[in-house]
Amino acid sequence: MSDKLKQIINKQNEQQNSETLDQSDNIVQLVGFIIGEEEYAVPILTIQEIIKPISWTRVPQTPAYILGVFNLRGSVIPLIDLRVKFGLRSKNHNDETRFFVLKQGDDVAGFVIDRLTMAIRIKKQDIGPAPDTLAGDESMIEGVGKQDDRILTILKVAKLLERDF
Amino acid sequence: MDEFQEILQDFLIESFELVEKLDEDLVELENTPEDLELLNGIFRVAHTVKGASSFLNFDVLTHLTHHMEDVLNKARHGELLITPDIMDVILESIDLMKALLNIIRDTSADAGVDVAACVVKLDKISGGNGEVDTPAPVAPVEEIVTPVEEVTPAEAEEDEPDYENMSPDDLEAEIEKLLNERQEEDKAKRKAKLEAGEEVLAAPEVQEEVSPEPTPAPVSTPVPVTPPAPPAAPKAEAPKEEVKAAAPAKRSPATVEQTIRVDVKRLDHLMNLIGELVLAKNRLIKINDDVEERYEGEEFLEELNQVVSIVSLVTTDLQIAVMKTRMLPIGKVFNKFPRMIRDLTRELNKKIELEISGEDTELDKSIVEEIGDPLVHIIRNSCDHGIETPDIRLAAGKPETGTIALKAYNEGNQIVIQIDDDGKGLDTDMLKNKALEKGLISEKEADSMSEKEAFGLIMRPGFSTAAAVTNVSGRGVGMDVVKTNIEKVNGIIDIESEKGVGSSMKLKIPLTLAIIQALLVGVQEEHYAIPLASVLETVRISKDEIYTVEGRSVMRLRDEVLSLVHIGDIFEVERILDASEHAYVVVLGLGTSKLGLIVDNLVGQEEIVIKSLGDYLKGIEGIAGATIRGDGGVTLICDVVALMDMAKGVKATALVESSSVAQITHEKTKPSDYCVMIVDDSKTDRTIMRKALEPMGITLVEASDGQEALNILKAGDYSFDAMLVDIEMPRMDGYSLATEIKKYNRYKNLPLIAVTSRTGKSDRMRGVESGMVEYITKPYSADYLASVVQRNVNFKAEFL
Repeated sequence: MSDKLKQIINKQNEQQNSETLDQSDNIVQLVGFIIGEEEYAVPILTIQEIIKPISWTRVPQTPAYILGVFNLRGSVIPLIDLRVKFGLRSKNHNDETRFFVLKQGDDVAGFVIDRLTMAIRIKKQDIGPAPDTLAGDESMIEGVGKQDDRILTILKVAKLLERDF
Repeated sequence: MDEFQEILQDFLIESFELVEKLDEDLVELENTPEDLELLNGIFRVAHTVKGASSFLNFDVLTHLTHHMEDVLNKARHGELLITPDIMDVILESIDLMKALLNIIRDTSADAGVDVAACVVKLDKISGGNGEVDTPAPVAPVEEIVTPVEEVTPAEAEEDEPDYENMSPDDLEAEIEKLLNERQEEDKAKRKAKLEAGEEVLAAPEVQEEVSPEPTPAPVSTPVPVTPPAPPAAPKAEAPKEEVKAAAPAKRSPATVEQTIRVDVKRLDHLMNLIGELVLAKNRLIKINDDVEERYEGEEFLEELNQVVSIVSLVTTDLQIAVMKTRMLPIGKVFNKFPRMIRDLTRELNKKIELEISGEDTELDKSIVEEIGDPLVHIIRNSCDHGIETPDIRLAAGKPETGTIALKAYNEGNQIVIQIDDDGKGLDTDMLKNKALEKGLISEKEADSMSEKEAFGLIMRPGFSTAAAVTNVSGRGVGMDVVKTNIEKVNGIIDIESEKGVGSSMKLKIPLTLAIIQALLVGVQEEHYAIPLASVLETVRISKDEIYTVEGRSVMRLRDEVLSLVHIGDIFEVERILDASEHAYVVVLGLGTSKLGLIVDNLVGQEEIVIKSLGDYLKGIEGIAGATIRGDGGVTLICDVVALMDMAKGVKATALVESSSVAQITHEKTKPSDYCVMIVDDSKTDRTIMRKALEPMGITLVEASDGQEALNILKAGDYSFDAMLVDIEMPRMDGYSLATEIKKYNRYKNLPLIAVTSRTGKSDRMRGVESGMVEYITKPYSADYLASVVQRNVNFKAEFL
């Protein structure tokens, strides 16, 4: 465990060290997470908080990917299962499941993700546009980030928070 | 600049308040042109606005009000009699004034409105000469003279220096000076009045504070003892007297009301905080109940109880107090109607009298804002469709002048706004025919329609009885707006009418929007809150009391037939729990329609705080919002209006046994396909059982108490073939666990084997009652346990 931790800290330090040379506005800070087999990321500033799963209430007459609503310290917030939204089968929540509470403007919603990976600092030039076939206004993909051997799909938060039913 | 903004804000607030009252006064004035008090009041408004606007360099507004003032001054001195024609010009100038004020509010400048035409008209009336220098006022005969409150125009003119040419600094100094002066005068005046035993009206205090006019004569104070005007117009007598009677009620003897202006946002914030507090209180009460149950008889309980009840009491009081600060008298809305009726009567060539009562009734600010439009539509409707033209009225033997009565009063937890007219009433046959013509209803529907339902037709979008579209009505939009807006504030509309005699429309509106009483109902494992205002009663019925008529479930409720719908059918609730023999019916009432909502159980009545579901989930049919319960969970609030609508589309599946969940029995191909759960709070006991069963090769899952076992079952990760259950466990014991499990259709046939050291006969009986199939007493041999399990899971012999 401590080895793993060290590894992560080292990695983050490396990242930081290599990036402090750059202009800070060339760096994008993201938080990565896993849904199914894929790694996705959203800008760190759009995340209001990340919480462990709590109970929620089903809301009728909604698409299957909307699990319902939950109480976040007195606010009623919709809960969306990203697995279902992305066409995967829903699965039971486990120790690694988290609720991502994303916020943009007045829109707030919770998203169920399978697993959190890490905070990522990535250079702007390492982010490419979404593949042509997936680009466009309707696409949920903001861009694709390349880092070392990984590929990150960066999601459009505005699109995630947009009601589409 | 900031100071200027501040003054400007005060000026605008004051002016709008004055103008609002002005409309009412002017119409009243037309009925009683000799009422000097009213004239003085109106004159003062023009004067105040003029004074203030010249301070602030709004030249156009000053110009306009200056000329208005001239006309009113003449009238006030009896040199001019207010005729309807003159009134039209005055009203026009007031409209211009309003427009100017709006522009000032938006742009801080008064450009863009052309007042020249109106000024010319005003000049013509006042005879073209500017200031009228009249000495002492000529008191009309029927007037009790109130010299103290009289402003002589000379005084007013004198004290008005030429502000236009002042530098900003001088101007501010001047304002300061005038305010100080005025405060002094106010004090002196109040003192004098108190000594003289005079009553000081509370209301004008506000306008006095900012008014730049040097002499603060409270002209808008109605004379307390005006004798009735000579009965020249007996028809106008009644409403006038009512208005007069209402006014003195407002005054409190010799005290000046202390008020401060508060930003509405702050009140909203306060209300939100109270909402949170109510939720926390509910939670505290729940925790208190739990603690009481667990630590019964402990001494600290009493103390806890006391604290909880004090907190709960104070919260309720606080909530009421904050609600009251948000209350506004409905008169704020009613004020604009006299003017509207006046304009409509002239436009439609009818004679209509408006009677207003109960304008002091208070309502939440947000509701007051919502009901303005609906009332406009209803009153326009009454004027256009309700009240007949004078000749028709005379022919029908009614007085020439029609009456529209606007009433507001409290009824229980609701405010009722009643609009009565003595017009021609609603003709049900005509309504039905029109609706048929427009294709809004089918012939069958028309035939089976009750009178009330036919009246309800006027609320349908696209419905109109007017033959032609006029300025006033005929587009078929108005009443639909009424319905939507009233429903938005959870209100109910009730229409009554008698052909030829008149109609009456009642709007029943809850006092506040944010916190309501609700009935909580349960269906399967879900809870829903139904606003208590829409619940007429609840009844417990057995299933054979439900009949099916034309594909819909109905029941007899006393001598009525009530159509039924299962809440689970509306909200797509999965039937996992076994329905019991009995069901509860919540009878919902909304205006004239009723519906029975079948629920599995009634949880109770609770005060809930309505929270919005947010943009993402808004507009879901049947859901009005959500609330947070004592346990921190979210409960959805039903939208009764939508519910009734949705019920029409639901087939009679209510209580029809849902085909039992398909039991997916997988073929067992190896011993590990068998799965058994061991529920015991003792680790040792669990290990003993595991050791006894492991040789069989079956899958074993452990749970340390009933609650955990239930959660594992619900998660559905395993398909269990049997369960070994200890009886005595913390949190949930074996009997309760068995009872809970048997509620689920899926697990009805799951063999439960009790493993316990309790050997009493009654224990065994309880075990059987709660659904246990076997009863193994500790200690037992490993072989025995294995054989019992094998028997119950139908363990295939070839695996042995």
